[in-house]
Amino acid sequence: MTVFTLVALMFTAACGNTANTANNNANAPTNGGNKESSAKVKEVTFWGDWGGEGQKQFETMVDAFNNSQDKIRVKYVLQQDMITKFLTAATSGGSPDVLFWDRWRTSLYAPKNVLHPIDEYVTKDGLNKEDFYGEALKELSYQDKLYGLPLTVDARALFYNKKLLADAGVTPPTTWAELEAAAKKLTKWNGNKLEVAGFSLNDKGLFNMYLQQAGGQMLNADNTATNFNNEQGKAVLDLWDRMLNKDKVYKLGFETGLGEGTDAFVTGKLAMQYNGPWNLSTYKKFGKDLDFGVVAPPAGPNGDQASIMGGFGLVIPAGAKNKEEAWEFIKFWTANKDNALLWAKTSLNIPGFKPALEDPFFTEDPNLKPFIETLNTAKIRPQHSGYSVMEDDALLPNLDLFLNGKLSAEDTLKKAQQRGDQLLKDNATVQ
Amino acid sequence: MHKLHKHQARMGYLFITPTMLLFLAFTIVPVVMAMYLSFTNYDVVSRRDWVGLDNYRRLFQDSLYWQTFRNVIFYSVIFVPLNILISLLIALLLNFNKPGVKLFRTMNYLPTLTSAVAAATVWIWLLHPEFGLVNGLLGYLGITGPAWLAQTNTAMLSIILVTLWQSIGSNMVIYIAGLQGVPDYLYESAKLDGASAFDRFRYITWPQLRPTTFLVSTMSIIGALQLFDQAFVLTQGGPANVTKTPVYLIYQQGFNQLQMGYASAQAFVLAIVILVFSYINTKVNKSEESIL
Repeated sequence: MTVFTLVALMFTAACGNTANTANNNANAPTNGGNKESSAKVKEVTFWGDWGGEGQKQFETMVDAFNNSQDKIRVKYVLQQDMITKFLTAATSGGSPDVLFWDRWRTSLYAPKNVLHPIDEYVTKDGLNKEDFYGEALKELSYQDKLYGLPLTVDARALFYNKKLLADAGVTPPTTWAELEAAAKKLTKWNGNKLEVAGFSLNDKGLFNMYLQQAGGQMLNADNTATNFNNEQGKAVLDLWDRMLNKDKVYKLGFETGLGEGTDAFVTGKLAMQYNGPWNLSTYKKFGKDLDFGVVAPPAGPNGDQASIMGGFGLVIPAGAKNKEEAWEFIKFWTANKDNALLWAKTSLNIPGFKPALEDPFFTEDPNLKPFIETLNTAKIRPQHSGYSVMEDDALLPNLDLFLNGKLSAEDTLKKAQQRGDQLLKDNATVQ
Repeated sequence: MHKLHKHQARMGYLFITPTMLLFLAFTIVPVVMAMYLSFTNYDVVSRRDWVGLDNYRRLFQDSLYWQTFRNVIFYSVIFVPLNILISLLIALLLNFNKPGVKLFRTMNYLPTLTSAVAAATVWIWLLHPEFGLVNGLLGYLGITGPAWLAQTNTAMLSIILVTLWQSIGSNMVIYIAGLQGVPDYLYESAKLDGASAFDRFRYITWPQLRPTTFLVSTMSIIGALQLFDQAFVLTQGGPANVTKTPVYLIYQQGFNQLQMGYASAQAFVLAIVILVFSYINTKVNKSEESIL
């Protein structure tokens, strides 16, 4: 991309107003027509960035909703670069009615008033907040206002290749020590070539999870500064260092660029890895010969169990023209046992609506059960508007240097803390 | 006579009007707009307050921003000379009118036609440490190849490799055009004077190609400073930010962190840097002229 293209993009963003007003005018007759006869069907636009399989999963739910009543018609629109498009639309009125929302974004976007709070609707329809995962609702909230309902919840759990573990005579690990020992036994080298990696150390972004397993927290108690430059942080880096450099259970870049069908885990080149429920459908589809199991994340040295909760929600943009109808659709999908279950079965995602999880589909599936257990203790990322910036710009680059052997554990933590604290301070206030 | 000129001028303006309007709407206006935004705290969504020089002040203390410049300068220092050298060499090899040569020209030009993103996706696979073709070939020579994209000391080299593969094709074509513009009589008289092949290259071809080299080097420098696609797809700026480029940072700052005002300031400084480097390049190429 050239600088000019970028500049042009910024300009489009800035002047989205004019461009989209024209758009609105074009749409006006249809809307006006709707007002005249309220019996007419209302069109609700739903934006998401899932294509392919994901699009089919979405459309299943959209069709189910459209067939359930005759007043509202929802249309799914696939947006490749959804957030960028949403931002230009948000300021101008070209906004969709429902938005598929990566929840962690809430604390960055909600303060800017681009989302519509849904507390009123929740009270009006008498929804019980206890039916949803509390952490997921917390992640969709900003300053006591709720901005959406959770569509999926996920957490990392340990995936293992049953055959490789059986061949090596190893049982699925439950603690760090067992994980390390198992990984060592499972790894196979052929000279300088790594043939089977015992355990994936691909995702340095999981530092947060390891830290909690070691008994630590990413931020201090009042959420103002980093809290990993200590014994707990050191314990994580020492574990990584041992596994990567001493035990040599993994090689950096081992999994880069391997697509769904050639994934190292699918092809039996990787014995154990942390992964989320979103990969269950892929592994079932591509790995016909792959016999895998899932267990809750191994506990740290002091027995602490931890995983990070993430996932998606559905929100209503502040600029939506059909807010009531949008809410009906969101309620149908996320706050109804049968529909949440239909969603779970078509997409193999874990819905945020707890009553649906009582179904045998979840309680009797050995691959889903560990996730449900993990989700009961999983915590969301800290809600600080500078948190993602801190992770991206202060922590992760230094972890890269550590994994590349360019920084000692002490220096890594120290540098990440210095820059991280600065970034948290710089990004603390969002007007 | 005079009337005819006027008529021609009118027609001329008429013909360039559509282009100029597009240029105005999609280049001039956005640039002016971005300049204005660089003095605001614009966040795309809710604010656009005048903050004066705050963004520029912040930029001077932003170590990451300057690191991205060090990254592209490292990239340029290797990429630009190699680009000129390799595309010139290939052009010299393919500058004959022999049967079959057109096929080779086409093959060398092919990488240019692929989209940067698609090519980079394939290269990720080629550069895979264990199953990639590059390390596979190195393995036959008894060399254990590195994890190209995952290691801090090879990540930028990998990007240089991929962008070279993709850009020498078009520069080769420009050089072939340049080579065919060199008059034959110069070579003939040089041969009569007993000049060797190297001498002919040194004293005829290279000086005659100066405008071409100027074009190729300027375009390469500008392209290098605006590196984005390959860094985005191959490494996402990592590991440890060693492949993060100014354009990538601007994109992140503006669209991921909602700091479009600050991103505009960064974009403006980048534009000035490109201007400076292009100017230096012009000077360097002019100073060479006096050697002749």
